[in-house]
Amino acid sequence: MAATSADFERYVGLRGPLKRAHGPLERDALRRFVQAIMDKDPLHHDLDMALAGPYGELVAPPLYPVHAFRNPAHGPDPLMSVQEDPDADGTFGNDGVYFGLEPIASPFKRLLNGGNDIEFFRCLAVGEWCTAQARYANVLLKEGKNGQILLVDIETEFRVDGADLLLINRQTLIWR
Amino acid sequence: MTTSPFDVNSLVPGQILATLDKGVISTAHIMRWSAAVENFHRIHYDHAFATGHDKLPGILINGSWKQHVLVQLVKVSLGSEGWLWRLRFRYKKMDLAGDALRAVSQVVGARTMGDLVFITLAVQLVNHLGEISTAGHAIGVLPAHPGVRVPYPFVPQDVHREIDFPQDD
Repeated sequence: MAATSADFERYVGLRGPLKRAHGPLERDALRRFVQAIMDKDPLHHDLDMALAGPYGELVAPPLYPVHAFRNPAHGPDPLMSVQEDPDADGTFGNDGVYFGLEPIASPFKRLLNGGNDIEFFRCLAVGEWCTAQARYANVLLKEGKNGQILLVDIETEFRVDGADLLLINRQTLIWR
Repeated sequence: MTTSPFDVNSLVPGQILATLDKGVISTAHIMRWSAAVENFHRIHYDHAFATGHDKLPGILINGSWKQHVLVQLVKVSLGSEGWLWRLRFRYKKMDLAGDALRAVSQVVGARTMGDLVFITLAVQLVNHLGEISTAGHAIGVLPAHPGVRVPYPFVPQDVHREIDFPQDD
């Protein structure tokens, strides 16, 4: 049976919980991160340069907050699923871009990333805690060339411990 | 501390502002990224899973990694006096382990508002075959005059929101 727009109306505007990273930004975690993206900007690793720089402190790259929410030691072990199921993809316990949002019940199985639109306000500094809260900004059922598609816009605000805005990430997901 | 790498008054639409060569991205690079952000999706390190279970052509370079390259590209483009205000992009094709990636920024336009210049850039990730895998636009903010600083944190004024991405984005 085909989905109808009414099936998804209740999700529009729905907010997820306020999520807090399991710890503040640590200097060594930042080191690993900037090595992995191959960014040698001294503002991310050289304290003297950072103190004299435009932000006055050691900071993470502007988009770092979307990756600030890693698994706490007491949380689910994503690799346990791989031990139990040879077909598991290794993402158990990771809700990706949803940040605790209630999943949308739908008949669609295939997911594509429709793009990101990000607004930056400031960088997360070493020692600061990152929080995130997501909401469904829009959920739109459309008729595509090959059948129905569901366009889901998730808008997530990242803040310093629920206060100063770091960035707003608007991500479009396309379900087919 | 470096300054802006160009004269904002001499910008020309189409001008390449910066390139960022990341070289060949190996499975080791992908593993380092996956470990740093604790993303254990097997399509990023398990060749048999990626090609057999998920029917992909190879190990996938993470989209989450590529978006940080675009951010770095804009940082480099603007110099240390600039601020990346907005970034919009889409993934157009997969990048696989063994691909060499280069990021390129190109001037679309610039507009002065008060003491600030808002510069719009086209940003792309291109592989060694010249194929564009990720593309979009960025809007950066720079001081319009010597001695002026971009406010930090950067909280845009209502009038700044007149500046938007190109219509075709």
